[in-house]
Amino acid sequence: MSCKTFFSDTGIAYPVLAGYPQSYDDEEVVLVNNKCKCVTVTSKFVPSKENPEEEILERNIRIIVPLKSRENISDPTSPLRTTFVYRMTDLCKKCDPIEIELGGEIYNAQQSTSCDDTETCYTYNRDKCYTTTFPFLYHGERKILQAALTPASCYAE
Amino acid sequence: FKHFCLEILLALFFQLFLNPIFGPREVSGLLDGSVTVKCFYPQTTVNKHDRKYWCREATRSCHTVVSSNGYVAPGYQGRVAITDFPDQGVFLVNVSGLGLADRGSYHCGLGLNNRALSFQVKLDVSEGSGCRALLSFLFYVELQGSVTITCSFGQDYASIRKYLCKMEKSGCRNIIDTYGKVDDEYAGRILLSNENTAGSYSIMITQLGWQDAGLYLCGAGVYGESGETKEVDLHVYEGQGALPQGLKTPTWVPFISHTVLGVKGGSVTIECRYDTKGRSSLKYWCKWRKNGCSRIIDSNGFVSDLYEGRVAMYDNPENNTLTVILNRLADSDSGYYWCMTNENREKKTSKELKIVDGEPSLTGEEEVEASVGAPAQLACSYPCKYYSYEKYWCKWTRSGCTPVEASDQSRAELNVDCDKDNKTILLNFDDVALTDQGWYWCGVKHKGVYGETKAVQLRVSGEPRGRREVSPVRATAAWDAPGGCPGARGSEHIPAAPAVGSTRSLARGAGGKEPGGRSRGDRSSPVPHVPALRPADLVSVGSYRTNISMSDFESAKEYGANDNACMKGTQETQIGGDGKSRGGPAGAEPLGERRPSLPQSSKEEADVAYSAFLLQASAVAQGRGAGGDTAAPPGPWDGRM
Repeated sequence: MSCKTFFSDTGIAYPVLAGYPQSYDDEEVVLVNNKCKCVTVTSKFVPSKENPEEEILERNIRIIVPLKSRENISDPTSPLRTTFVYRMTDLCKKCDPIEIELGGEIYNAQQSTSCDDTETCYTYNRDKCYTTTFPFLYHGERKILQAALTPASCYAE
Repeated sequence: FKHFCLEILLALFFQLFLNPIFGPREVSGLLDGSVTVKCFYPQTTVNKHDRKYWCREATRSCHTVVSSNGYVAPGYQGRVAITDFPDQGVFLVNVSGLGLADRGSYHCGLGLNNRALSFQVKLDVSEGSGCRALLSFLFYVELQGSVTITCSFGQDYASIRKYLCKMEKSGCRNIIDTYGKVDDEYAGRILLSNENTAGSYSIMITQLGWQDAGLYLCGAGVYGESGETKEVDLHVYEGQGALPQGLKTPTWVPFISHTVLGVKGGSVTIECRYDTKGRSSLKYWCKWRKNGCSRIIDSNGFVSDLYEGRVAMYDNPENNTLTVILNRLADSDSGYYWCMTNENREKKTSKELKIVDGEPSLTGEEEVEASVGAPAQLACSYPCKYYSYEKYWCKWTRSGCTPVEASDQSRAELNVDCDKDNKTILLNFDDVALTDQGWYWCGVKHKGVYGETKAVQLRVSGEPRGRREVSPVRATAAWDAPGGCPGARGSEHIPAAPAVGSTRSLARGAGGKEPGGRSRGDRSSPVPHVPALRPADLVSVGSYRTNISMSDFESAKEYGANDNACMKGTQETQIGGDGKSRGGPAGAEPLGERRPSLPQSSKEEADVAYSAFLLQASAVAQGRGAGGDTAAPPGPWDGRM
């Protein structure tokens, strides 16, 4: 399913499905949860405005823009980032390996092709540890030390 | 307007997905009293070390009241405390000296104040004791985990209907009750069982999904009409190493590990994990039914009769994994199965088994008939995909399937072959015994994980025949000379009754005389009755090797050493002596004196003589006299031979 770029709350029109289970009324499905760029996209079925009998698919996109982050989040001395680019096709890519079952065996598979590991991040992912090095002058000696930028995430245990 | 709408949606959205923090929605305290707020968080590494805070909601932000970094807001000095319990995933906030100004909305959370990692708590302070304590049980459960909810209402409600219902817009939807009704959405993954105390019961739900979160009521009676209820607030969070954040697309297959597909006639391997606490408790596997869970197999060796030969359970305490294998699958095996332990706190696992059409990978005959004593072979063919897997045969018992190995010394007749060209695993029996009857499984194993299995039944029939065991206990013995041999020898010495390993002499029948011509009639000493031996059963004496010097024999013949009974035309060479009866007082004549020339008797005769010696030794030991014989036993042997 490809992601269409839109910022309104109208979506693709679907006919009402007969026998829709009641528990799925409020169900919201998460399509994108990108912690690196801080974008979340979810979708759910809502009654159409033109025709309340119909249900249409509504997609919600939430973007939090970290205005105070650096161009290189691992380097606090780099300049402030002023350009933020969000591409739905890139965001909708599912690059995390998923477990699927084929013939009774479970395999790890990546769902998308052309997955680029090196994605520039705009903000910190809470589950990852970010460190930087800096020069430290001590007793006249200049040493390069490593410091944690996100201390809470950098514990070993 | 659009913006506003979007924000409302976001609020709900937070509530559902991006808010793993959970606590009480409302707390109330008395004036000048205190209140404790308990907030839950997923036990990830970062959460355990992150800052915990309690802040008061204001128009645009949340002002910190107290935080785990040591900050206390002015005005709250000495009144408020925050304690974190990282190993339980909980932190407590205690506020004392409550005043009316403390009423309002607060947040308990992790990290930085205004991010999404917080839960809203409404604090109410009231005067007097007339406040209704809103006590709801909070349950904080991991996604795809399980929960056990216990409710008790006292003895008065012992025999009244008990139920669990979920609060929805239109009322309380019944989920399960003691009359056996179960909501379809929860079919297979919910169990209601009565506790030992009257009026109390517990409900177990597994495979919790996002939609299971919410407010429930457990009660006795009928909702809205009679009885009592208790509120249960269930919150589902995402633990470490779970699926990517709630990812579920409309076309995706449900998370694999809860549905197991089995081929008709094939087998499935189901793995359940349990907590370390449950390591030593009783574990069992049962099939879900509307009124309970019927036990199939447990770790004490119990196996339901319907599943004999089809199911085995392996416990691996190191991995905290329980493996159950079920084969010979049929359509009726579809359903939900639970792995249970006696520990109440245990995470319960339930799996849905679906039977699909197809061909099992391991093929072979399902029943093999064999006769006792004959060889038998059980064969199991495997496809290419199992080429590199470990293959085995095992014998099914109620406490598991014990592997049958080729190197097992005690059953050397069995061996396990793998004929690589034909891709068959064979289990060979050289000599089938009645105890070999039963179920045998051939199976594959890969990296320590049990794979497919196939059950074969071996049926053993028939009487024992042919082969006999040679044992010194069994009496074997006398030659049965049918019809007797009249006048064969005339010597009336020790009857010759050579037999393998025998030390008894047995005389048979009134008419039959031993080749030694020994008449039996006068014998008064009791001779034990021994079953007649067929001539074919006797083992040739000639197979014994003895170092007997011929010179030691005076007259072997005298000892009845002649196995050419009743053959008149034979020439018999005497070993010394002349066949006369040999008598004399004990010790009168040393043997050596009468040593003749070396006899030229046949080897056979020598061997027979040896056996005769054995007989003699036995006779001497028994102190038998010769009875009515004219011949007396020869003089003392002094153990010489």
